[in-house]
This record gives sequence, C-alpha cells and structure tokens, in this order.
Amino acid sequence: MIQSLILSTLMFGAMFSVLTVSLNLQYARGGMINFGTVAYFAAGAYAYAIFTQEPPSGLDQYAFGFDLPWWAGFLAAGVAAMAFALLTGWPTLRLRGEYLALTTFAFAEVLHSVLLNERRIGNGSVGMANVERPDPAALGLDDTLAYAAAACLLMLATAWLFRRLLASPYGRLVDATRDDETAAESVGKDTARVRLQIFVISAIPIGFAGALYAMITTLVAPALFTAEVTFFVWIALALGGERTITGAILGTMALVFFQELVRIIPFETVRGAQVAASVEEVITGILFILVLRWQPWARLARRAGA
Amino acid sequence: MTLFFQFVLTGLVTGCFLILATIGFSFTRRVEGFLNIAHAELLGVSAFATWGCNKLLGWHILPSAAVGILVTAFAGLAIGRIVYDPIRKHGPSVMLITSVGVAYVIGGTIDALIGTGIRTLDIPLATSYRFWGLRITDYQMMVVALAILAAGSLALFLNHTRTGLAIRAMSANPELAASRGIDVQKTSRATWLISSGLAGLAGVMLGVIATLSTDIAFHQILQILAVAILAGLGSLYAVILSGLIVGVAMDVSVFWIPAGYRPLVAFAVVILVLLFRPQGIAGSASGK
Amino acid sequence: MTDTILELDGVVKEFAGFRAVGGPQGLSFSLRRGGFLGLIGPNGAGKSTTFNLISGVMPPTAGRVTFDGTDISRLSTAETAALGLGRTFQTPRAFASLSVLDNVMAGLAHPAEGPLAALLGRWKPAEAELTGRAEAALERVGLIARRHDSVANLSGGELRMLEVARQLVRAPRLLLLDEPTAGVDPTLQGKLSEILAGLHAAGTTLVVVEHNLGFLMSLADSVVVLQNGALLAEGAPADIRRDPAVIAAYLGADHDA
Repeated sequence: MIQSLILSTLMFGAMFSVLTVSLNLQYARGGMINFGTVAYFAAGAYAYAIFTQEPPSGLDQYAFGFDLPWWAGFLAAGVAAMAFALLTGWPTLRLRGEYLALTTFAFAEVLHSVLLNERRIGNGSVGMANVERPDPAALGLDDTLAYAAAACLLMLATAWLFRRLLASPYGRLVDATRDDETAAESVGKDTARVRLQIFVISAIPIGFAGALYAMITTLVAPALFTAEVTFFVWIALALGGERTITGAILGTMALVFFQELVRIIPFETVRGAQVAASVEEVITGILFILVLRWQPWARLARRAGA
Repeated sequence: MTLFFQFVLTGLVTGCFLILATIGFSFTRRVEGFLNIAHAELLGVSAFATWGCNKLLGWHILPSAAVGILVTAFAGLAIGRIVYDPIRKHGPSVMLITSVGVAYVIGGTIDALIGTGIRTLDIPLATSYRFWGLRITDYQMMVVALAILAAGSLALFLNHTRTGLAIRAMSANPELAASRGIDVQKTSRATWLISSGLAGLAGVMLGVIATLSTDIAFHQILQILAVAILAGLGSLYAVILSGLIVGVAMDVSVFWIPAGYRPLVAFAVVILVLLFRPQGIAGSASGK
Repeated sequence: MTDTILELDGVVKEFAGFRAVGGPQGLSFSLRRGGFLGLIGPNGAGKSTTFNLISGVMPPTAGRVTFDGTDISRLSTAETAALGLGRTFQTPRAFASLSVLDNVMAGLAHPAEGPLAALLGRWKPAEAELTGRAEAALERVGLIARRHDSVANLSGGELRMLEVARQLVRAPRLLLLDEPTAGVDPTLQGKLSEILAGLHAAGTTLVVVEHNLGFLMSLADSVVVLQNGALLAEGAPADIRRDPAVIAAYLGADHDA
C-alpha cells in the first residue's frame, strides 16, 4: 500500500509538475497570469486521443481517428497545445494582469464547452474511452512504475530545457520584459513578441503532459478538464514558493501526496468519502491562503501586479 | 417570432439576476481593487443558509431569506477582515489568487455540510402570467424588481450618504481618501457588508428561481466574470448594461444553437469585446 | 541624407479629447545632425510628452515626426529604438531583478538572443565581447565597481547613470535624455557633463530636457523653449537667456543659474 501510494504520487506528481513548472515560467518569469492552464492540457490530451484512436465505428460519434502510433499522438499533443496557445495568446497578451487572467480563463471555458457539446471532436460529454497507449508489459515492466518513470522523464526534460532557455541572453530579455516593458522597448526589444514566445513555449510541455495523462487514465472526457485543474496547479505553485523550478516541483509533489493520502483512507459509507473529499478541499484552500499570506511576496507582487 | 421574444424576455430576467450577482463583485473590485473569485461562493452560502432555515427549521421563506442575507453579509465581512486585509499590500494579483483558495474553503465547507443532490425551497409554485403571448412568472418579476431596487438604492447610497461618498472617494484614490480624513477601516467594512449582502440577495433569488446543488456557485462565477469583464470592471451602469447583454445573448442564442452552448455564448461575447475594447464596454483608457 | 536628423511638424497630442493638459499643440521644430538641443520650459509645458511622442511611447493625435527621413509618427518604441533612437526617462527605469551589469547587457542587441539560440547554446561566443562593451560603459559612468550589485541598492542618481550606460552601449544616433541631472550629486554631474560632451564631439545628436539650466546652457548649442505645449522661443543659449518672453514666462525671478 505504501509502495502504491509513493508510486502514484510520483506518477501524478511528476505529470502535474510539468504544468506547474510551465506556469512558473509564464508567471514568475514572464509576469503573465494564465488562468486557463487546463485548456492547453486538454488540447494535448484530446490531440493524443484523436491521433491514436481508430477511425469511428458503431456508436462512436467522433469524426476523426487517425490510428497513428503513440509517438505521433504525443507529438501532435505538443503541437495542439502550441497552436492553441498561439491562437489564444496572440489577441490577449496585450492585456495585463487580471484582464489576461480573466481572458485566458474565458478561453478555457470556451474550449471546455466546445468539447462538451461538439460530439464530433471526442464524443461530447461521454469522452473517448480506451485510449490507446504503449504497453509497458511488452517490455516486462510494471504499468504504474513505467508511467511514473515516463512522467518523471518528461518533468526533468521540461525543467532542464527551461533552465537552459533562461540561463542565456534570452533569459535576460525575458526578465527585462517582465521587469519594465517600456524600458525594454526603449532599447529596441520587441516585448510583445517575447511575451507571446514565453506563452507559447510554456504551453508545449503542458500539451505533452496532457498526452501522458490520456495514456495513464486511458480516458479523455470534458469532466477531467475543468477549471479545477487550473486552480490545482496554481495552488501547487503557491505551495512551492513560486520563484524556482525546484519549488514548483516540490509544491506539486506535496499537494498530490496529500490528495493521494486522503484517497487511500478506507471509508465505510459513500457519505464518509464525500465528506473527506470536501474536507480535503477545505484544507487545500486553507493551505493556499496561509502560503500566500506568509510568502515573501513583496518582490513578486511588484513585478506581476502591474 | 413569439418564441424569439419569449427568449428575449427570459434573457432579460437572466440579465437581471446576473446584475444582482455581479454588482457586489464589481463593487469589491472597485473599492478593494481585486477580483474576488470567491464572491460566487457567497451566493451558495446565502442560498443554503436560506434553505437550512426554510427546509430544516421549517421557517417561512421571508425570515429565512433575511437570515441567509445577514449570514452572508457578515461572513463576507469576516473573510475580508481576516483573509484579504493582511495581504492588501501584496497587490491585486496575489489577492485574486488567494480568493481562489477562499472559494475552495467555502465550497468545500458547503459540500461537507450539505452533500450532493438537488434541493428546493419550500415555497409556493410559481404562477405564470401572460402578456401579449409572452409568459413570465411572479418569481421572475420579483428578480427584475429586486435588481432594479438593488441597483437604484446602491446608486442613491453611493451618491447621497456620507459612507457612500467615502466609498466612492476610496475607490477613486485610496491614498488621497485616507489623507482627507476618511476612515479607511470603516469604509472597507461597509464595502464588504454591502457587496456580500448583495451576493446574499442574489443567492436567495437563485434558490427561488432555480434548484440548488452545491456546485451552483462555480457555474455562477463563470457568468459573473463574463458580465464583469464586459462591464470593464467598472461602474454600476456598465454592470447593468452588460448584465442585460450577457443574459439576453445567452438565452436568445438558444434560438439558433444547442442550449449546451449557453455559457460559451457569454464568453464569446466577452472575448469579442476584449479584442476590440480591452477595457470593456464602458472602461476608461487608463484601464487600472 | 539630409542635414536634418529630427523634425517635428505640427505635432498635437490630446489626452482623452483635451488639449490643455501637458501635450504639444501644433509643435514644430527641427534639429540638425550632430546638434545638442536643450529643451526647456515650465512644468506641464509638454517636454516629457514630446519625448514620448518622438520615441513612440504614444502616437501623436496629429502631425508628423520625422527621424532621418523616416516618418516615425506611428512607430512603436521598439521600432524607433531599432532605427537608432535612444532615450532615458524622467523617472529612471531599471530592470529590478537584474544585476547592474545585466541591466546594461539588456540594452545590447545580442546576435543570438532568441529562444532557439538559448536552447542550442549558440549565444555563448558573443557573450564575452558584449560583456566587455557593457563593462566599458559602466566604467564610463562610474558604476563599474557595482557591476554585480542589485539595482535595488543604487541611489536615484546612480540609477540615472545606469540608464545612460544602457543607452551608451547601443550607440544611438539620436539620444533623448529626460532630466538627467535630477537627483544626481555634483561629482556624478561632472562625469555626466563629460560623457555628454564626449558623445556630442563624437557626432551623436542629443536632446536634453533639463531644469538645471547652468548644466544645460554650458553644453547645448541650441535651445527650444516650450510653454503650454507650444514653441515659445528657439535659438542659441545666449540669445535665449536674453529673450524677454522667455525671462517673463520661465526664467523669472527664481532663476538662479
């Protein structure tokens, strides 16, 4: 039991860390509040499912299934998230602070609503079950172990690439753009372009994580991609202390561990389980409030609050 | 054609409800300076407090509603004092993100206390009236009347009372207001009471015109955000106008496209407006 | 190529439909290449707004700004900067999270500045040379010893010098300086005066908004006086000092330079 708790924490923790690390790039480095994180995650998951699924038959209502190998679906997930980031980022990034937060939130809700109502994309509210995925048993590996390893690999690759991206003149440019856009423009920097680049670059790993999520759960359905995912990632980011990649990962792991822990408590009744889930929500919220209250926020707020 | 006008009429009622739900949100934004995502949860607090008095204790709806509104107003005040006041110095972004945590706490508490399932208030069934072939129920008319009453009295309050003028001064320029001898603490308390009380009123209305489940608050915040963004997070009159626009757009859209797209229509309107007028329909160029 | 590097032609700026507050109202003047123009006038005369209009922070409501033969009225700040225009701000602007050295480095156009170059490590070869240039600029403004310091530790005057250094490395053809001596102590002012004279001698065109007239009159070779967004007088520093209209409107009794 302890082993399965650790493994599932590692698997979901690493996967959601990809989201947190990307959000950290957008917020702590780019100064952009993206309240629609789940949309890029969903775009990746759906793209993976659509590219790997067999063409529709029988009761299927979805219109496309390309039946391609998993790696093609995985790549498609990154491209889909990137494309959605371009589509949503280009018109909205000139908005600042809370306006950007609200508009990205609105875009995520629009995508959610489309996935829910447009059955030709992914069977509407039913979703697509039995999403195809590489079978670790073929290599003689335990299922959870293999996917936990894959999630960790994706997380480490993302962290390493982001670190490399920012430890460069480009990182300096990104920091300058966030610190003072007018001053950056006055030395000839195209800040609108930098903001869009960061927005799009950080969406790509989120798309990959979406594909991985589809493989792990073998299901994509609108109910899995609600605004709660976005809030979850924000809470994890706040828990981790915001500024660093390591902090983002630790915060996510801690939050996932906490949730998995609640999940393994055996309950006698349905009502008991339900109360526990609600209490978990309350504790998560309180943690969030306390962390935001006691963090050394002053510097960050100055940067991102404008 | 009658059907079309029926949708317009329903849309206007929806719009009036949205106005009630958004005024408090927009008011907090103006005076406290941040977007309070947890505002919609206050609608839930009020709706379920009313339901508790009405259904569990067997009270009449009127005292139940009064208790619901009062509980909500003071809950909002308490949250404002305990949670938001200490972090004001961190700026609006941190306050916005914190309010998500507050929404979790309130939502989780309601979930734990009430549980899943659909609840209804113990009130007489709605009576339908017909005007020129258009149907409207007495409860719907009440929503419209209350929206007009709430907006009107808020406007009077802000323009003609000492506290109201202090609130306006504070929303325009907090530092200047403080230096002119306005009691910032007291004004902030009044703001929390009023905006939460309005959320309370909207929550009662929600219980009256719809069925209650514990996830209603979350659905409301989407529409409240839509109205607030459209209004440019600004004046009372902009909120009224954009509430009606969003309400009518959502309900009339059902005439052409599947009803499942109703929330999408609200946000489509918002996105379109933001693309052309980043500060909302009535926003000023300064934006802040 | 003409001999005129900057030309304002009937420039008007209205704020929210009002002409009265601090914007130029039909302002025209031109500046020859290599000139050193002092831009003076009482508070609210429209000096900083004029800078904002030239550098593209905001577009003029009417009129034209021409820089070296190109109409830049509708260009963004980044675009005017790319054409060779540099500016500092009335309130000095620094990149708060970057070190003093990086603040200057950020002013340079790195040949491999994009995200792809960052991932591939292509930026490394050019970095040493650029660091050298940035350090030379810091040396010139007297901040070399503070290069690894956080900008939060700099004084207001030092921040102004940092801003100058950030522009120096870019070697703009036209440099606009907004109150460069405000908050700068006399030692640094001497240094600044030296730097500006050096830039002038090297052929850079300069426009300086300044309240410290003693400092300005010793450097500028021509002066434009603004009042309520309009041109009040234009001429050599010595003539401006004697102009009765200028004395009445601006220099007045509290003039101590």
